[in-house]
Amino acid sequence: MATRKIKTVYDVVCPFCGTLCDDLEVDVEIATDKVVEVRNACQIGTAKYYSSNPSPHRYEKPMIRKDGKLTEASWDEAIEKAADILTAAKRPLLYGFSSTECEAQGKGVELAEILGSILDNTASVCHGPTLLAEQDVGVPTSTLGEYKNRADLVIFWGSNPVHAHPRHLGRYSEFIRGYFRKDGRNDRYVVVVDPRNTHTAQIADMWINVNPNEDYELMNAIRAVLRGIDLDDENVAGVPKDKIYELVDLVKKCNYGVIFFGMGLTQTLSHHRNIDTAVCMTRELNDHTKFLITPMRGHYNVSGANTVFTWNTGYAYSIDFSRGYPRYNPGEFSSVPLLMNDEVDASLIVASDPASNFPQDSVRNMFKHPLIAIEPHETPTSAFADVVLPAAIAGIECDGTAYRMDHVPLRLRKVKDAPGECLTDKEILERLIKKVKEKLGEK
Amino acid sequence: MSLNNLTLLTGRTINQGIALEGGKTTKENVRAAAICTFDKSDFKELDCMVGTPVKVTTDYGEVVVYSTITEEGPHPGIIFIPMGPWANQVVNPDTQATGTPTYKGMKAKVEVMKGGKVLDALQLIGQLKEG
Repeated sequence: MATRKIKTVYDVVCPFCGTLCDDLEVDVEIATDKVVEVRNACQIGTAKYYSSNPSPHRYEKPMIRKDGKLTEASWDEAIEKAADILTAAKRPLLYGFSSTECEAQGKGVELAEILGSILDNTASVCHGPTLLAEQDVGVPTSTLGEYKNRADLVIFWGSNPVHAHPRHLGRYSEFIRGYFRKDGRNDRYVVVVDPRNTHTAQIADMWINVNPNEDYELMNAIRAVLRGIDLDDENVAGVPKDKIYELVDLVKKCNYGVIFFGMGLTQTLSHHRNIDTAVCMTRELNDHTKFLITPMRGHYNVSGANTVFTWNTGYAYSIDFSRGYPRYNPGEFSSVPLLMNDEVDASLIVASDPASNFPQDSVRNMFKHPLIAIEPHETPTSAFADVVLPAAIAGIECDGTAYRMDHVPLRLRKVKDAPGECLTDKEILERLIKKVKEKLGEK
Repeated sequence: MSLNNLTLLTGRTINQGIALEGGKTTKENVRAAAICTFDKSDFKELDCMVGTPVKVTTDYGEVVVYSTITEEGPHPGIIFIPMGPWANQVVNPDTQATGTPTYKGMKAKVEVMKGGKVLDALQLIGQLKEG
C-alpha cells in the first residue's frame, strides 16, 4: 500500500477571529500541497484551512471584466487596469484590510496617501464605535492571559462567543484552568446580557434578558445602583429591579471581573454611547473591586489594521487623504456613509466582502462605479468586480504579523504554497503602488 | 400567516461562519445565512412548516428567506437573521454619525410565502448590480 507523505506544521496561528488561537497543528500532504487535517482549531478555523485547497471558487489567475464577463489576464494587464481605475478616480475608496497581515496593511496606507483616497477598514462596520468611545473615555483593559489566570466573574454583553469566537471560552474566559482559578469553570461565575437566550447564555450562570436597543438604559441603572441610588421603576430595559440589584451585588463581591462586549453594543442604537457608558461603568466598578473590559474583535487582524493605520496616520479607521494629509471623521469618511451618499467613484477592496456585509443601498452605489478586488475566493464582491487580483491567504499561504483582540502581536505561519499565480496581498499592493506612481509621474 | 411588530436582530452564527469560509457563493451559505429564526410561540402563530419561505419586511427593504425555529430562545417578539447578504437587504443603514450602520433592532413584519423563491448570494447581490 502506498504511504502518503505528510508534513505537520505546529504552533500555527489561526487566521479567523480575534481570539487568534496559536496552538493549531496542520497536516499538509507533500505531493499535492493540500491541507488534509487540522487539529485544535474550531469548526470555522478548520473550514478556513480547508478552503485553501483547490476548489471551483478559488481564484488562481488575475481576471479583468471584458464584454461583461470576467476573463483571465496576465498580472501586468490586471495591475495596469487597476492602476488606471484608481488614478482616474476623483474619490477612490480603499477598504478591507482586516483579514490580511500588518505588512500588507502598511502598504495599503502608502497607496491611499499616494492616491489621496479614503482609507477604511472593517472596524467601521463593527467595533468602530468602540474605538470612538475609547478615544473619548479611555479603556481599562488587559491581555487575555490575565483574565484566564485571575478573572472570577466574566460578563459577556451583547456577545455570543460560542458562535463567533468558538475557542475563546475554552482558552481564556470560561472553562480554562488559570493560575488563581485552578478549578476552571467552577471558579468562575459567568453572566450573559443579551436579548436572546444564546448558546453562550445557556451555559452561563446568569442570563440577563435585556430589551433590544436598551443596553444603555440598563448600564446606567447599574451605575445608579452602584452609587447607592434606589431605582424607581420596577424594571429597566425589560430587566426586573431585583435582578439588577442581584447583579450589582455580584460584581461588587467578585475579586476580578471582566466584561467582554460585542456587536450587541456597537451595532444597536446609541452605538458609541453604549461603549462610553460600559467603560465608565467599568471604571466605577474599580471603586469596589478590580474590573476590566475588552471588545470581542471579529476579524483576526482588525486590531492590527487599527494599530497599523494609527501609527501611520494617527487614526484607526475612516481616514480621508484627499487634502494630502490624513483627516478623520467617522460619520463622514466611513465607507457606508460615503457609499450611501454616492461620493465614491472607484473602490479597491482588500481581503473583504462589502457586497455581503454592507446595507443594500450602499452596495448598489458601490456597484455603479469601477471595483477592484484583491481576494483569494469568489465572493459577492469579487464576482461583480472589474478587476480581480488573486491573493495568497495570509496565515495559510504566507506569513506575517497579526494583532489579537487584546493587541498582542503574533506571527502568522505559512503552511503551504499559494496555488496558481496568486501573490501575497503585500506583493500585489507593492505592484499597484509602483504602477500608480508611474502613472502619476512620481518616483 | 403574517406577523407584525417584530424586532429583527442580526449576528454571527457558527454555521454562517463555516459556510462563508467554505464558499460564499455555495448552497451551504444559503442554508446557513438565508434563514430567519423565530421564537416557538411566534412560529406557531405563523402557522407553517419549518423551512417555508417567509418575506421579512422592514422600513429599509425586504428579503425572502427560509423560516425556522430558534435554538436560542425564548425570545418572543424577536426574529434573527444571521449576518450576510440576506440580512443586509433589510438592515438600517443609518450610522448616527458613527460610521457603523444599525444592523440590529429594526422593526419588522413577516409574511409566509409558500412557494416563494429564496435567492442565492450571487442572484441576490446581482439584483443590486442591475438596479
